[in-house]
Amino acid sequence: MKPPLLVAKNVSKHFGGLAALSEASFTINPGEIFGLIGPNGAGKTTLFNVLTGLYTPTSGNVLLNGQPLLGLKPHDVVRLGLARTFQNIRLFANMTALENVMVGRHARTRAGILGAIFRGSGTRAEEADIAQRAHALLDLVGIAGHAHAFAQHLSYGDQRRLEIARALATDPKLLALDEPAAGMNPSERAGLQQLLEKLRDMGLTLLLIEHDVKLVMGLCNRVAVLDYGKKIAEGVPDDVKRDPLVIEAYLGGPLS
Amino acid sequence: MNVLNLKHDRRSAWIAFAVLGIMLAALPFLVDAGLGQSWVRILDFTLLYVMLALGLNIVVGYAGLLDLGYIAFYAVGAYLYALLASPHFGLHLPFWALLPLGALVAGLFGVMLGAPTLRLRGDYLAIVTLGFGEIIRIFLTNLNAPINITNGPQGVNMIDPISIGSFSFNQTHRVLDISIPGVYNYYYLFLALAILIIFISLRLQDSRIGRAWVAIREDEVAAEAMGINTRNVKLLAFAMGASFGGISGGLFAGFQGFISPESFNLMESVMILCMIVLGGMGNIPGVILGAVLLTVFPEALRYIGEFEQYALGRIVVDPADLRMLIFGIALIAIMIYRPAGLVPSKRRRSELVSGPDVLAQEQASFYDTHK
Repeated sequence: MKPPLLVAKNVSKHFGGLAALSEASFTINPGEIFGLIGPNGAGKTTLFNVLTGLYTPTSGNVLLNGQPLLGLKPHDVVRLGLARTFQNIRLFANMTALENVMVGRHARTRAGILGAIFRGSGTRAEEADIAQRAHALLDLVGIAGHAHAFAQHLSYGDQRRLEIARALATDPKLLALDEPAAGMNPSERAGLQQLLEKLRDMGLTLLLIEHDVKLVMGLCNRVAVLDYGKKIAEGVPDDVKRDPLVIEAYLGGPLS
Repeated sequence: MNVLNLKHDRRSAWIAFAVLGIMLAALPFLVDAGLGQSWVRILDFTLLYVMLALGLNIVVGYAGLLDLGYIAFYAVGAYLYALLASPHFGLHLPFWALLPLGALVAGLFGVMLGAPTLRLRGDYLAIVTLGFGEIIRIFLTNLNAPINITNGPQGVNMIDPISIGSFSFNQTHRVLDISIPGVYNYYYLFLALAILIIFISLRLQDSRIGRAWVAIREDEVAAEAMGINTRNVKLLAFAMGASFGGISGGLFAGFQGFISPESFNLMESVMILCMIVLGGMGNIPGVILGAVLLTVFPEALRYIGEFEQYALGRIVVDPADLRMLIFGIALIAIMIYRPAGLVPSKRRRSELVSGPDVLAQEQASFYDTHK
């Protein structure tokens, strides 16, 4: 078996006296869709922000492909191969869909000020490659027809897809999605599920943070459950679903 | 068919460029014949402001960093030129060396301003940059003691006029029996450099760095999450914008022959910001138009006294007051009727004006559940 892609060891994050995360550990294997679920306030987004460099954890360690992530700036984390989307969509609203994805290529391209001014053959080739990759990614997520529409004019579902395309443009090894189905109607949700399965079949590893238990259970290979900042279960969806701790976290404890 | 069309478009573009070129070349002669040589001088200043506005446009229009102290970089460029090419220190460095040096030093000052303000946005950044602009001006005013560096409030005079080799821009030259006075020479020099700066702005706009600037303006957190090193890219914007200011500052010093700290006050920073806001932030033709209008219009309003005398028979309102009143009302009117500027970029229009097509599209996507 291949070594795990991401290893999180005893990650804790305290905000003042509040322990948003305590001693959370899990591993993500290459090629799987890993789900992270938990009730509101369980620490899912905190964990997410720790992984992607937005927060510095109080203690713990995270390795991506054997390289430590902690202490890195978000843009360095992207370079190592961990891309993300946002729970509340954060597109570049007044850029076109195509430009949004082209920005995603930033980390993998080099042209600087002088390249921009003189626009030599190297820069021209790089620009052509950026545009071509961006078109291909828009096509992959199914919004190629809206390439030249401003991001803010896209429908809600398409904006979610555009965020995924933009994250894919960074050539991630692990794509982390923060509640991608939030606010979607059932048909948009089904479309999203198909898209994520397609990405997995292309060999991408996905980390999915989700509220919607049904979606996670149907899609994920393995699932971890957070409650009050602690991991209370990890395993295949069928086992996790039957775990008494998980049931208690979601439905409340037995009446005494 | 397509190829033919393209050729045709190319040719008409070339013709348009040629006509524009001839018009720009003939402009000082026409203006001189029609309005007098003082207006050719105003033309020269217009070009300096075009360069300044394009520089500030990189910082404010592209990267969205509100800078209220931009004139400081103009001052840095001007003083660098003045101190290194005047009897003040007895140094007379050549123009071709001073211009790039001015750009470089102003760029460094841009980074100096940028570095401590990286975490600030919007109003907070505006306040700090405003302070920075004032600090530079006050330094220039007071650096005449204990060692006299800037000659204090008296400023520096007898600055070397700009010359390249033995060609002095200050003197009248004769070409093909047409006499070309100094102000004309400066016009052509400034025009050439303004075109260079327009070219650089256009190239930057449509590049990897240009996209990164706009991305930061749109959403800094998302830009960082896309692998953009926001710190470096912001500093780059400050440095680029400042270097344009440094170039125009050097040109100003050589052209004017005299500079003092009073030329670099807050009002100047505000005027340059007005130019880009009024013309259309982030859009190069808009910024140029804004710079031209805001330089020429206040000058034209100087004739308001004569007009008042002619229309009413006597002076009712002090012309100087009336001039500022009309200027203020015009600015307000433009911002009410064209909030995104006179020639807005597509981006700004999309941000500030939701047209009927946008509304229709929003409604369509709202009801569209059969995707």
